[in-house]
Amino acid sequence: MHSRRRFLGHVALACASGALLPGVRLLAGDAADAGDARLVVVLLRGGLDGLHALIPYADPGWARLRGALAPDGSAGSAMHRLDGTWALHSSLAYSAQLYAAGQLLPVTAVAPPYWGRSHFDAQDCVENGTDRPHGAQQGWLNRCISALAGQRAVVAAAVMPLMTRGAAHVDTWSPPLPTQIDPVLLQRLGVLYAKDKRLDPVFRSALAQAESGASGSANDALVRGDARLVQSLRAVGGFLARAGGPRIAFVEDDGWDTHANEGPILTRKLGELDAGLRAARESLGDAWARSIVIVVSEFGRTAAINGTLGTDHGSGGAAFLAGGAVKGGRVGGDFAGLASNALYEGRDVRATTDLRSVFKGVLAEHLKMSEGTLDARVFPDSARTKPIDGLVAKKSA
Amino acid sequence: MSKQINQAASACNRFGLGARPGELAKITDARGWLAEQLRDDIDSPPRGLPSSGAYLLREAKFVRERRDDKAAGDPKSTFRASFAGDLRDESLARWRIAVEGTHGFHERLVRFWSNHFAVSVDKRAAALYAMPLEREAIRPHATDRFGDLLLAVETHPAMLRYLDNAQSVGPDSMVAERAQRRQERTGKGRRSGLNENLAREVLELHTLGANGGYRQEDVIELARAITGWGLPLPRDLVDGPAPVDTGFAFHPLAHEPGTRGLLGRRYAQPGMEQGRAILADLAMHPRTAAHVSAKMARHFVSDVPDPALVAHMTRTWLAHEGDIGAVCRAMIDSDTAWNADAVKLKSPQDFVVSALRAVGTTIDPLRLTQYAALLERLGEPELKPRSPAGFPDQDSAWLEGDAIWKRLQIAVALAGHVGGDAEDALRAGEALGPRLDEETSEAMHRAGSPSQALATLFASPAFQWRA
Repeated sequence: MHSRRRFLGHVALACASGALLPGVRLLAGDAADAGDARLVVVLLRGGLDGLHALIPYADPGWARLRGALAPDGSAGSAMHRLDGTWALHSSLAYSAQLYAAGQLLPVTAVAPPYWGRSHFDAQDCVENGTDRPHGAQQGWLNRCISALAGQRAVVAAAVMPLMTRGAAHVDTWSPPLPTQIDPVLLQRLGVLYAKDKRLDPVFRSALAQAESGASGSANDALVRGDARLVQSLRAVGGFLARAGGPRIAFVEDDGWDTHANEGPILTRKLGELDAGLRAARESLGDAWARSIVIVVSEFGRTAAINGTLGTDHGSGGAAFLAGGAVKGGRVGGDFAGLASNALYEGRDVRATTDLRSVFKGVLAEHLKMSEGTLDARVFPDSARTKPIDGLVAKKSA
Repeated sequence: MSKQINQAASACNRFGLGARPGELAKITDARGWLAEQLRDDIDSPPRGLPSSGAYLLREAKFVRERRDDKAAGDPKSTFRASFAGDLRDESLARWRIAVEGTHGFHERLVRFWSNHFAVSVDKRAAALYAMPLEREAIRPHATDRFGDLLLAVETHPAMLRYLDNAQSVGPDSMVAERAQRRQERTGKGRRSGLNENLAREVLELHTLGANGGYRQEDVIELARAITGWGLPLPRDLVDGPAPVDTGFAFHPLAHEPGTRGLLGRRYAQPGMEQGRAILADLAMHPRTAAHVSAKMARHFVSDVPDPALVAHMTRTWLAHEGDIGAVCRAMIDSDTAWNADAVKLKSPQDFVVSALRAVGTTIDPLRLTQYAALLERLGEPELKPRSPAGFPDQDSAWLEGDAIWKRLQIAVALAGHVGGDAEDALRAGEALGPRLDEETSEAMHRAGSPSQALATLFASPAFQWRA
């Protein structure tokens, strides 16, 4: 099974590059090497409590710091044990199956290069791809798309988030209004917008997107009543599965800032994440074998629960890589443990891996981007932040 | 005359929520029209809605009844169903003031503060109190001293619940000690302790700003200082003599004892006075003055406001005890604020409100859920920002392809909703005054139906700007 998947991936890659003319291939630069790979980045805004999702159950500190969060079923027998140290939260059942199939790689103790505890600065840092908040006005994923000349991307959001803001064009998608617009009215508006320098490009891109009928299967999702994260992942999976469609997507979700009574909240939210991964798997179809979904958050939370059965803003958190192209079935990252002297400032999981190292590792091996492009362009001045090797399953022996 | 009508158009569109039919012609002195709306008796709060205290009492009774129903195996009603009518009434009142009112500048200011002190109805415990926060804490102080506004907001049940302070307990307080003893003795009950959520956002968002020079220790010290700031206890509401006109209670037994140190100052005040003194100092901190002045200038004038304008507003703040009216006068008296290039894209909320104002409609209660759905689609659901930072206030946030496409769809939908004949439709264009360019006006005249004419207006580039 494993070797068969690799074999299929190999064939698909060969077909994709064979379809390109030699000249185009030269011009396309990194794009030709990226081949048919798919990448979805998911940002969970608010600060996912990494210790609640990816549980270091064997660490003696865990029961001491987290004991009171156990009774809602997130711990004890209901959790999904991965190895002698780690377990997934009970809501992450499908994720545990992916892990068993070698298609999920949880990474512990990650954070952006930012040690403050502000949501907005930390998210800004995750999205702008520099070593500090407000270090760039564009998102790193946009710079990544620019570098992969010829690649297309889609973001599931009503308004463009920083992550995908920048010079490269990115389509936005959200559940559409049922109203149709009369083509005559559109023509008339086209004339008016042509005279407004700032709005005209936006108008024209909206028009082009509407004409290409990018609204897809959104209504099916609405009927099913799925959470936003699940709808979004299903939709972008559908776009990425299409021949000639976008190959890179960004999905965001919120509601992860769990200061109080987080047990039941995270049981629901982690369930949404789990269902979202399943939805992506289903809508990507055969393309799943060539896909990586990276799930990250702006920071982890305090190691100890606070006075209100929640956790406050912290540092090191958890990330998840899922997909057929992931070399999973193991837990990545360096965990310093939960002993008091191991915690950052005595309160947070110590972040030992820069999130950019994870992103760079995936971009280098999965999208075949060069070290120079990653160090200087996508993540400016980041040469000292090395990509993590071996995140991606080798396609050939 | 042409200068007068130009300034009137800016007063209504740049500083207000858009003009209603005939409104522009009445404004002979644009600056005076704006200044008039900074008077502290100008606000006309919606009438006939319950106070937060009254809501809390009903909520406490509801929780108790449901517990009894459950015990009897007969749960009758959900919270949402029980209070849906109240939420609708609150929303209706808010839409009526925005669409039918005559003080657009004042309302923009009220909405600016509601977004500055953002509370999301997404958090269930705070949902019922988000709109009362605007009525009870923001409206009475919208042009008042900032310190008074700040205190009113931070002691409102919406904020205390949204940012979890209602549950925060001083680690060395009587309440915490008792809880610990009880737990040790019986193994039952919850631990209780500090929650720093409100304290952090007070510093980061409400006062000093993200780069305001405070540290983690300051956050914790402020969190300690405001322990005990909470809501009346349900048993006091239902059984006791507690007055039900306020949603705030200070609980001395939950307050962390001792002196606090914040930003280099010591606060030895007892009880509630301690937090009150800190907020008063924060309100007059130069960083707060600069942070909030810049945010106001960005909201009303330009995404990149003239630093001289912000500096002038900041100085006015510090010289006038944080008087918001004085800071606003400094803004509208400056020439920069009236520059032709001071244009901003309307937020989705202002886009919908200004469209309804332009046709001079009154709010049809049956349309409320549709309007709410439109705002949700446009990415600015009513009082439901995705974080305590509120909705973004820069053009770029509302300028992307999919968002503009939704505006076009919603322009068509709104034009369909409001109806009217061709004359009504063409008159709506007058709301823009001289900002309605000839081409747009012509396109409206050429439209195939009144509804198409209106859709053309609402979807036109000219209508997207606060110019």
